[in-house]
Amino acid sequence: MKKVIALVLLVLLVMPVLFAAGQAEKKGGYEIVVVPKDASNPWFVRMKVGVDEYAKETGLNVYQRGTPQIDATLQAQLIQDLIAQGVDALCVVPVDLESLEPVLGQARDAGIVVVTHEGAALENVDYDIEAFSNAGYGAFIMDNLAEAMGGEGVYTTMVASLTNGSHNEWADAGVAHQKSAYPKMQLLDAEKRVESFDNGDVAYNVAKELFKKYPNLKGIMGTSSYDAPGVARAIEELGLIGKAFTSGTGMPLDNAALLESGVVKSLTLWDPALAGKAMIALAVKVLDGDKIEGTVDLGVDGYTNMKFKAGSDTVLEGEGWIVINADNVYDFGF
Amino acid sequence: MMERNTMQPLARFEKLYSNDRHLWRLIFLIIVWMIFIAITRFSRFYSLLNFQTMAAQFPEFGLMSLGVMLCMITGGIDLSVVGIANLTSILMAYLLIQMTNASGMIPAYAIPLVFVLAVGIGAALGIFNGILVSKFHIPPILATMGSGELFTGICLALTKGNAVSKFSRTYARTINNRIFDLIPVQLVIFIVMAILIWFLLSRTVFGTKLYMLGTSATAAKFSGLKTDRLLIKTYMLSGVCAALGGMIMLANYNSARADYGTVYTLQCVLIVVLGGVNPVGGKGKISGVVLAIILLRMLETGLNRFPTISSYYISLIWGGVLILIMVLNYFTENTPRFRKKIAR
Repeated sequence: MKKVIALVLLVLLVMPVLFAAGQAEKKGGYEIVVVPKDASNPWFVRMKVGVDEYAKETGLNVYQRGTPQIDATLQAQLIQDLIAQGVDALCVVPVDLESLEPVLGQARDAGIVVVTHEGAALENVDYDIEAFSNAGYGAFIMDNLAEAMGGEGVYTTMVASLTNGSHNEWADAGVAHQKSAYPKMQLLDAEKRVESFDNGDVAYNVAKELFKKYPNLKGIMGTSSYDAPGVARAIEELGLIGKAFTSGTGMPLDNAALLESGVVKSLTLWDPALAGKAMIALAVKVLDGDKIEGTVDLGVDGYTNMKFKAGSDTVLEGEGWIVINADNVYDFGF
Repeated sequence: MMERNTMQPLARFEKLYSNDRHLWRLIFLIIVWMIFIAITRFSRFYSLLNFQTMAAQFPEFGLMSLGVMLCMITGGIDLSVVGIANLTSILMAYLLIQMTNASGMIPAYAIPLVFVLAVGIGAALGIFNGILVSKFHIPPILATMGSGELFTGICLALTKGNAVSKFSRTYARTINNRIFDLIPVQLVIFIVMAILIWFLLSRTVFGTKLYMLGTSATAAKFSGLKTDRLLIKTYMLSGVCAALGGMIMLANYNSARADYGTVYTLQCVLIVVLGGVNPVGGKGKISGVVLAIILLRMLETGLNRFPTISSYYISLIWGGVLILIMVLNYFTENTPRFRKKIAR
């Protein structure tokens, strides 16, 4: 008997908590759920900040729900649960594109609006949001590098590998942007593009060699998130701080020391919180029956001038890049 | 509450309860959870669509759990179920790609064929496990962990880590279908396999031998059981279950990949223990495992109805339920013995 009482007590204890949780849901309007790759990755914890902010601002029933681990099957099941529950819209950052197609198809068959982020190749979506176009981001990295270099000098580009699609597009766009905007800068003719294999140590060694081989080399444009930090270590070690520069994608906290000591002036990135907000804003627009055409203004910083990717009627690209420097490096939590 | 019922003079009922305490406890937990959901989230849980969704979700890991259960009854374990499932589904995905013609269709015999082949592959991989365990006397936990890694490694080598897809959608559509627009096909596959295993365990000599082997391997050997063959058969069955789970995954995700379902390994072990199978072997019923599968799915789906409950708590609640059940087991398993002692 004792254990039954204990069990009942336990249930009674848990109930109010869950009840309280249940009551909070009674907000009007659409129910929109953001499903990230998982719940605990700092990148998506940051996304949740944006989602919660959006819910607070608009009063809509918007929330983020992730799986405890990154797993394609868990994500698919969570989405199936949400479909059965009859939400109005799903905003998904897919773990794995292939496995999600049938599930997202089910969602759309059930009349649920589907917006994705970083899922440009998906078919069963209403729209997919990309933070930026590859060309736009490449030019943005170049702007940062040019600013550090004072708009003059010899530079080269670094990619994870010469076969990586987006990295090379960024690098190409960066070079093109330099030619039109920074005529005093010059691409290193002997080695126009080097590879880091997405590895900080490789980036470091390659950069060290480059700076030794070409004493007039003043800057390296990084693309993968290991490039610029690796190059920065080489700059620091060779005592070239203030003489050689780098910029490129980089995660804030990993590179806090480099940014604060001034070895790197700025890194580039996009903010998952804003991407989360933009997904919801687009879902609301679709639910409201707004026409999505031409340039789309989602009312979120960097997503106010979204354009369809060339040749696609589902992929929208924004200008959602951000600069990370010594001032804001601790603002993101990752 | 449940005990008050059994205190009634209905001796038959008491016997029913004391025979299957564990089962009743699981049923009790499921009912408590269902009542709770009914109070808080009635309209969002009690819909036909939701039950159909759940019934289509659990067969993939449910089938793997059945295999793990069989191995655990013999005192072993099978940690390679996910590896077997993925290897099977990847191989079958390649076959389906071959059979898909230019217009995206597959011949009518394709689906039965891939299922028969999948069962064959699962059986072969299972026999491999069984040989490791029985002939080479490798502890099952290590043998199957190793073979699981091996199978996953083969998957990775075959696919280079990519998803295998682009085969005719007819396959996924057929398996994702609902019979009479009501019963998911996945559920039917699960039920057929569950009945088969139930029959083997409780109605055949094979089942009796399995429990004997699990209770005491030494006694089983000295009473003339061919334990090697018995173990190989058990792991073969587990492999078949896992392979079928893989085929369902192939349909649910319309693709196969080396790392699909990696969380299922642990989940299956938890389900089987939660279902009342003794980890040391010799004890356990399929009904308990099936109830545990249902309880897990209902807990998870139910919790997804509460947006403010972060999914971190899913692991927490799941772990809590498991420990609660095991602690309750300790009490109920021990008290009767205690009573008997006094009676003597």
